[in-house]
Amino acid sequence: MSIGRLTWPKNRVVATPLMNKEPSTELPIEGEGDIVLARRAARQLAQEVGFGPTDVTRIVTACSEMARNVFKYAGQGKMSWRILEGDSGPGLELKFDDRGPGIADIETAMREGYSSSGGLGMGLPGAKRLMDEFRIDSTIGRGTSVVLKKWLRRP
Amino acid sequence: MNESHLSVLKLRDLLLVTVPAEADDTTVSALQQKVLEAMERHEPKAVVMDISLVETLDSFFARTISETAQMINIMGSRAIIAGMQPAVAVAATEIGLKLGSIEASLNVDRALDLAEKPRRGHTSHE
Repeated sequence: MSIGRLTWPKNRVVATPLMNKEPSTELPIEGEGDIVLARRAARQLAQEVGFGPTDVTRIVTACSEMARNVFKYAGQGKMSWRILEGDSGPGLELKFDDRGPGIADIETAMREGYSSSGGLGMGLPGAKRLMDEFRIDSTIGRGTSVVLKKWLRRP
Repeated sequence: MNESHLSVLKLRDLLLVTVPAEADDTTVSALQQKVLEAMERHEPKAVVMDISLVETLDSFFARTISETAQMINIMGSRAIIAGMQPAVAVAATEIGLKLGSIEASLNVDRALDLAEKPRRGHTSHE
């Protein structure tokens, strides 16, 4: 695995993010290796939007938590992304969708230190803190969707 | 990532562990195993974990690092993490990771200096 600038697996990504502003780019999350790929995609996207190193790391860290949740709880799912055009500048949206078991009690899952899996219970509240916007929708038996947004300049 | 790339180097009476930049969960766990095995073999005075390449420290990664440090401690050696990038420190703190109980150094150089000194506030387990 190369560590430097991105070498996309050919079958994974259909367009470079900034060439295609429609939300048509996505990455399947089906294995542990895909968590690493999701992180790399998030890093490249965040850098292309123009975020500085600290915000890039915040975004990538949040992405890592969410991608791991997808893999850990649902087995598989996907990450998709959009470059946003806000009033005060661009932003980045990362969306994580799975068709896993869903979260019974979102309020509890969002609580600091709560984990249903023996983890640290930092994934959801941590990602929320690292990003500007955080939305979670979950239906038991149907799956979970998490949307993360970060603005280059906070609106 | 090939696990043979994981570097655990014996350096005098220390072990120097280079934590890879982009590791998947299996690799991170393999590294922990490798460190503990090397400890048994070399009986180092301290284990320096160089994390300067690490660009993303999420909760799983942090937990593994923190657990490894704890294991090193209860085996009777000393764990020092070295070289955390500033952005990583910001994100790790904001996300709520508690790594404060682990000894840390700005870089490997300083970690080697630190390893020569007695541990701050540490009562020996011996």
